[in-house]
Amino acid sequence: MSLDRLIKNCIKQDAKAQSQLYKQYASKLYSLCLKYSKNVAEAEDNLHDAFITVFSKIDQYKNKGSFEGWLKRITINTALQRYRNQFGVYDIVNEGQIEDVTVNLDDSDVSIDFLLKIIQELPDRYRLVFNLYVLDGYSHVEISELINISTGTSKSNLARARLILKEKIETHKAKLNSQSL
Amino acid sequence: MLNLDYRVMNEKKHIDRLFQEKFKDFEVAPNDAVWNRINENLPNKKKKRRIIPIWWQIGGVAATIALLITIGVSIFNSNSSSTVNPVIVDTEEKHPTNNIENDDTSSEYKTNTLNPSENSQNLQLVTTNKTEDDSENTSSLNSEAKENSSSHALTKNPSTKTKAVANQNKNSKTKQPKALLNNRFNKRSAIVSTENNTKKETSEDKSSLNKTEIQSAINKSIEENNTAVAENTKTSDNNSVTNTTEKASELLNNEESEKASLLDAVAENSEDIDEKENDDEQNRWSITPNVAPVYFSSLGQGSTIHSQFNENSKNSEINMSYGISGSYAINNRLKIRVGVNRVNLNYATENVIAFNDANTQARGGLSQGNITFKNDTISMVSLETLNRFSSPEAFNTKISGEIDQRFGFIEVPLELEYRLIDKKLGLNVIGGFSTFILSQNEIYADIDGNSTLIGKASNINTTSFSANFGLGLDYSLSKQWQINLEPQFKYQINTFTNTFGDFRPFIIGIYTGLKFKF
Repeated sequence: MSLDRLIKNCIKQDAKAQSQLYKQYASKLYSLCLKYSKNVAEAEDNLHDAFITVFSKIDQYKNKGSFEGWLKRITINTALQRYRNQFGVYDIVNEGQIEDVTVNLDDSDVSIDFLLKIIQELPDRYRLVFNLYVLDGYSHVEISELINISTGTSKSNLARARLILKEKIETHKAKLNSQSL
Repeated sequence: MLNLDYRVMNEKKHIDRLFQEKFKDFEVAPNDAVWNRINENLPNKKKKRRIIPIWWQIGGVAATIALLITIGVSIFNSNSSSTVNPVIVDTEEKHPTNNIENDDTSSEYKTNTLNPSENSQNLQLVTTNKTEDDSENTSSLNSEAKENSSSHALTKNPSTKTKAVANQNKNSKTKQPKALLNNRFNKRSAIVSTENNTKKETSEDKSSLNKTEIQSAINKSIEENNTAVAENTKTSDNNSVTNTTEKASELLNNEESEKASLLDAVAENSEDIDEKENDDEQNRWSITPNVAPVYFSSLGQGSTIHSQFNENSKNSEINMSYGISGSYAINNRLKIRVGVNRVNLNYATENVIAFNDANTQARGGLSQGNITFKNDTISMVSLETLNRFSSPEAFNTKISGEIDQRFGFIEVPLELEYRLIDKKLGLNVIGGFSTFILSQNEIYADIDGNSTLIGKASNINTTSFSANFGLGLDYSLSKQWQINLEPQFKYQINTFTNTFGDFRPFIIGIYTGLKFKF
């Protein structure tokens, strides 16, 4: 079944088409959910909500841009929805302090599971900003609009996130080294 | 500084790139449960299509049944009301042939009643007048006819009264009481006058038989508060001119005393109507076919068969009870119900040796037990009592079996049901008693998988009783249909004439049924 046909059948609420669409995109969208969520349970909830939105609004997809992009936007939006209202104007960070940080990183053999774990362990907003900026290519301006924060906050959050991630990777590496010794 | 800046930039890029590269092809298949959850919550057309028809079907069935019932009820009601009308017509038809004078009296009567609004009642009154006049004038034989006509009138009256009341309710209220009072007043006064007149007239005729018969008829009609006789005699008043003054005074006397009671009567009538209307809205009657797994056992240790089996272990299979019951709702909470069930029970005594022996003495004490043997050669001994004595070798080699007692009853339960929770899922407590009529009575020896009919129990009463307690759960499918689940405990009374040990039998059943209310 071609993608157009699949989408049309999904608009008709054909159960078979819906099932196929899910199978086709579930893994990609689920990985997205995992990055934006604290844990597996939240990621699954997120995926569920995202697909419900997808199937109920699929008739609004106008063939502008890729279908996968549309799906991803919905999924990310769903993830952000969870936190959007939690963020106030607090947490203005001293940006000068952050810029000084230097990190020594080799080409590492750290596993993706570990990386996912430390992303999930980030504070909510750091995690969202890091994901949006680094992994999904959003600009600070876009981020500031998406999660209702200033661009400055977005930038400082990103820097903080990087710092935390680096530290965790380094301690992890040190641990691995000590174990191997 | 430049160097440092560069390094920082470099490092930053590095960590971003590390994540970007690692997550580039990152895909994880989600748990299947997620899809199941999504699928459940989807606005899926095909699923809905399946769901809707089922409800439509159930709804449709319920609707057609409801429709049939309403049609049936309305036809039934219209029949009953139409049966009343022809009677009036008949009497009207009879009358013109009989007497021409009566027409005058009837017209007079009409003018007297002052009741233009209650035509139906007037009509009826008039017609009955005429027939009765005829009977009086013609002969003593007519006294029977008179009784008939009065009974006709009796049947007619309630309906016409209620009609009149209903009409009046619609009409202006101020007029009603007056009209009724006038009506009643006429009737009552007439009744009183009838007694006088008929006595006089009949005495003139010197037919004593006629007199007594007429009197009895009048008494009846007075008791029933019947109007027919009243007007009848009134017309006779018109015939006998001499009595008019007496009547007039009597009328006046009676008038006031009757008024109060008449008002009461009117009030009662209207109340009755209201009650009837309310009753019609409820489904007071219901019928429930039910089926139940039932289990028979005893509270104490004992035996129905023989004292030597008192300590033997007993068992009972789960048997079935089938039946149907009907209930009537006395009020919102309380129902009375009666039914008929067929119940089969069994009760097996384990660890028994059965053997064939022509020598009936080998039965030991069993001959004094409660079994009527079909065949003299079979004997049974409890293995438990046997072990206490030095037993013959032969016994020990025998395989022990069971005495399987099977009995069946026709059960007629009469129970009260009180509703504790009156919701879609309701809870009731049930109490009552059952009458059991013995329908089956057999005793089998189950040895080594073979079951042989050996006789019947001599100690089961053909009629016995039980005290019943139960809890009833019900779930309303619709206004008319309900599913029931009722665990019940029935303590049996007088089932056996004599038992051994402490044998107190009971039945436990879980009754399930589909209730139809109408």
